Amino acid sequence: MYLVADINVDICAQTSCKLCTQFCPEANTILYNDQAGKEKGYKYGAAYVAVDRCKGCAQCVWVCDNMAKHHAITMIMIDQLPKAAITDNVTYGEKSTTALLASPVVG
Amino acid sequence: MSLDYVKFSPGFEKFMPKEYRDMVEHGPFGKKVSVSQMGSFKEILEEHPMCAGCAMTLFIRLSMISFPNPEDTITVGTAGCGRLAISQAAIPFVYGNYGDQNGVASGLSRGLRLRFGDKPKDVVVMVGDGGMADIGFSATLHSWFRKEKFTTIMLDNEVYGNTGGQESGMTNRGAVLKMAPLGKKFEKMDMVGMAKIAGCAYVATVVPNNPRRVETVIKKAVLIAREVGPAYIQAYTSCNIEYAIPTDKVMEDAKNVEGDRYQFSEYITDDAKQYLAERYGYKEFLPKPAAAVTKA
Ligand SMILES: Cc1ncc(C[n+]2csc(CCOP(=O)(O)OP(=O)(O)O)c2C)c(N)n1
Ligand code: SF4
Ligand code: SF4
Ligand code: SF4
Repeated sequence: MYLVADINVDICAQTSCKLCTQFCPEANTILYNDQAGKEKGYKYGAAYVAVDRCKGCAQCVWVCDNMAKHHAITMIMIDQLPKAAITDNVTYGEKSTTALLASPVVG
Repeated sequence: MSLDYVKFSPGFEKFMPKEYRDMVEHGPFGKKVSVSQMGSFKEILEEHPMCAGCAMTLFIRLSMISFPNPEDTITVGTAGCGRLAISQAAIPFVYGNYGDQNGVASGLSRGLRLRFGDKPKDVVVMVGDGGMADIGFSATLHSWFRKEKFTTIMLDNEVYGNTGGQESGMTNRGAVLKMAPLGKKFEKMDMVGMAKIAGCAYVATVVPNNPRRVETVIKKAVLIAREVGPAYIQAYTSCNIEYAIPTDKVMEDAKNVEGDRYQFSEYITDDAKQYLAERYGYKEFLPKPAAAVTKA
């Protein structure tokens, strides 16, 4: 098994500062959904990780902890994630994206 | 090399892979995108085999977003880690023999000018420090002396990363590497100084821990290379493997190195400043209004 980044929507959505994706080395991996957390009253949406593209480097964790100072990202074994975004289930919109969450582990 | 190559051929749309459809419909082609929109549009860089956490990967990713006209851009590379990602983007990529990239780019940029006249077609070389300062040194310097109009970007990880850790001219004095166990005996080469002497119109050093700065530097370089003269960017893009930097400390290292030997620097000739102001509306380079007369 291997580690991937997991973003806590409740923490991220308080600001959705968008710093982490500017530092993730991998393209199309940390994406934004501007509707995430709206049902709980958050205004700005939140970031999420397309886990099939995450290489587990934890740079985003460093950025969220030390630059953004929001502590919203943790590394987690992929089979411990009940549901996650994967590229096949991501839909791009005009200014934001959405993802249908599903189990990231096949079978 | 135009918006035509990012359209579906009639009837084939439904057979194209999802990534391709996303790129055509939500990619950056024909639009202006910026790093502040990252995560909200489909990037043209695809999956690639560069190491987890590699700062060079991040720099390449930022560069692809920063090209002013990705649909009119060709990248040129050579052996070395960077080409593993640069070649996996929806931008035509020319893979030169090790070290001949600035020769290839010279011919390419001249040919494109003959073929397309005034319509800008941007040629961008992206190559490691070994490929540029060692093996490609003469081709690089000569292209600058000849004032070839294209952008040269050094992905400086201060080592031959792709072949397991030999020293390059850009390695720091004293650095001990797996295949340079006695430590480097000479100083890091001053390629920035040489670029200025050779007549580059734009020279900058940058570190990827400031994505917006990377964006502005790349944009200026590519625009200046269209008409004014050669542009050179030297980017610190650490090799976390050969320098044993834990992947979650790569940005911390970039920050430290920026504070040490890789401070941001930018050199722009007066011609290039005037061109950016007049042609592309760069306010910072507009002539300053005459200073108010001070009281005697
Ligand atoms: C003519 C020739 N000599 C040697 C090689 C082997 N080779 C491949 S990559 C490389 C080193 C690349 O180092 P650098 O240019 O610094 O790029 P990095 O991998 O560090 O990004 C070498 C020596 C080659 N491909 N061609
Ligand atoms: S850096 Fe942290 S708070 Fe900011 S967008 Fe990323 S996960 Fe959310
Ligand atoms: S762990 Fe690395 S690859 Fe994965 S999302 Fe974070 S920065 Fe990107
Ligand atoms: S060997 Fe070094 S430079 Fe090459 S991809 Fe890996 S970390 Fe990056």
